[in-house]
Amino acid sequence: MKVITNSPKETISFGKKIAKSLKGGEVVLLMGDLGAGKTTFVKGVAAGLGVKNTITSPTFVLMKVYKISASAKSYGGQSENIKIKKNIKVLVHIDAYRGLDLNDLENIGALEYFGEHDTICLVEWGGALLDYCRKKGIRCKKILINNINQKTREFIY
Amino acid sequence: MIILGIETSCDETAASVVKVECGKFFILSNIVSSQVKVHAKYGGVVPEVAARLHIKVVLPIIQQALAEARCSWKKIDCIAVCAGPGLMSSLHVGVETAKTLAYVFKKPLIKVNHLEGHIFSGQNKVKEWKLPIIGLVVSGGHTQIYLIRNYLKYKIIGGTIDDAAGEAFDKVAKILGLGYPGGPVIGKYIAKAKGHPSSGLRVTKEQRNITLPRPMIRSNDLQMSFSGLKTAVLYAWRDCQLKLKGDELENARVNLAADFQQAVVDVLVTKTLKAVKKYNAKTVVLGGGVSANLELRRQLAEAIDSGFPPSLKLWRTRLSGMTINKVKLVVPELKMTGDNATMIAKAAYYHIKRKDFISPFALTADVNWELKSR
Repeated sequence: MKVITNSPKETISFGKKIAKSLKGGEVVLLMGDLGAGKTTFVKGVAAGLGVKNTITSPTFVLMKVYKISASAKSYGGQSENIKIKKNIKVLVHIDAYRGLDLNDLENIGALEYFGEHDTICLVEWGGALLDYCRKKGIRCKKILINNINQKTREFIY
Repeated sequence: MIILGIETSCDETAASVVKVECGKFFILSNIVSSQVKVHAKYGGVVPEVAARLHIKVVLPIIQQALAEARCSWKKIDCIAVCAGPGLMSSLHVGVETAKTLAYVFKKPLIKVNHLEGHIFSGQNKVKEWKLPIIGLVVSGGHTQIYLIRNYLKYKIIGGTIDDAAGEAFDKVAKILGLGYPGGPVIGKYIAKAKGHPSSGLRVTKEQRNITLPRPMIRSNDLQMSFSGLKTAVLYAWRDCQLKLKGDELENARVNLAADFQQAVVDVLVTKTLKAVKKYNAKTVVLGGGVSANLELRRQLAEAIDSGFPPSLKLWRTRLSGMTINKVKLVVPELKMTGDNATMIAKAAYYHIKRKDFISPFALTADVNWELKSR
C-alpha cells in the first residue's frame, strides 16, 4: 500500500492510523533517509497507542522504552477519545542508525522485547532485521519512507 | 572531605579526586580517557565496543586519579558514581566498579545523575550560585532546561521534543560530509574556512540572511526542536549539489554549516533567555558537550549582557522588552565541558551533606534516569 503525507502533521495522523492496526507483539521496521520522518511517524504511533511521554530521538541512547498506562485515554488535549488496546503496554523505540547489528541489539537488551505480546517495537533503520524476524516467527511490518520533496513523504507498506 | 568520582556513562572513562575544604572545591586529579577516535569510524558510539574499552581502562584510570592526587584509599571519604542516564552497557562498568570498591574498602557510596553532574561542572565553591538557577544542559543525548529553585531541587521546564542539539550537529556533519563528532568538526570547519582559527567567528552579512529555519523559536513555551532543522539542511545541501560546482559548492557548504550552527545557537539562546525572564533567575548555568561550542558560549554571554540575541534582528522587538538584570552566566572551562568525573564528585558533595548514601547491594544503573528532586 502507498500513502502520501504532505506535512509532519499528516505523518503523525498516519502513524495513529497504523497504531490502530497493531495488535501487540509486532516489530515495525522503518526505512528511509535522514530527515524522512521516521521519528515523526513514531510520534504518531505512540500517540495512537496512548503513550503520554514526548517521543524524542533514540539515536544517542539507541533504545527508549515507554510504558503505556491504562488510564491514558485522550491525548494532546483533543476531545477525541482513543480506545487504548489494553493488551499493549509497552512501546519500544529503537534506532539502528549507526549500523547496529543483531549482536549489538542483543547487547542493549532490545531483542528481549521482540515478539512480546504486550509490546510494540519500532526500529528505525531496521531493514536488516527482516530475515531475523521471519526466522523467529515474529510478526513484522516493513514501512519504507521516501522523501518526495521537502514536505511530501511517501509511505510504502 | 575527599571524594572519588567515577563516570562511564557513554564513551569516556573518567575518574577524579576532589577535595572539599572551607566551602571550596579543589580538583586534586581529573583523568579522562576518551574513546572518541575508536568510535569515529562508526560515526557514533558503539555500545559493545564502548563497554569493552571501559572495562579495560576503568581500574588503571582510577589508580591514576589516586596517584596524581597523591591520595591513598584511606584518605577517600566517599565514592561517587554516575548511575545514569546513559548507555546501559557503559554505565554498568562504572557502577559495578564503584560498588565493588565501596564494599571492599568500606566506603560510603553515592549515586549521581549524569545531567546533575553537567550542571555542577562549572562550580568552584559550594553553593556559589544565587538561586533560582536556570540550567541549560546540551549534549549529544540531551537538550534540556532545568529550573533549580533550591540546591538539589530540579524541575524540567523545557527541552527538545525530538533530536538533541549535539545529535543534530552529528547528523548535519554527516549530511555535509564533514565527519564525526559533529560539534567540533563543524566548528573547526567554519573557523578554518573563514581564516579565524578557533577565535570567535563573526557571521558575515550574507550569512545573516536567514535561510534555515529556527524551529519553534516563536513558540511561547520552552520547547525546542532540531529534527526539522536537520531536514532543512539536507534539502538545502541537495539543492546546492545539483546547482553548484567547485569553489561555489564549497562556499555553499561553509555557509550552510555556519547558518546551521547559528540556528542552533539562536534557538538555545532565545529559549534560555525566555526561561530566565519567566522564572526571574539569578544564575544561568551552561553544561554538556555542546557547551564547548565557542559561538554558543560567546553569544549566550552577549545575550545575557544585553538582553537579546544579537543575530536575531527579527525577534529583537519580541525580546527587547526583557530586562535582564544581574544575571550571572556560568560556563564550565573547556576541558570540563565533556564528560568527566570531577562534575560527578562535585554534585555528590551535596548528596553527602544530605546523607543520600546507598548500599553497594542496592545500587543499579538506570538508563533512563530522569533528573528530578529526590
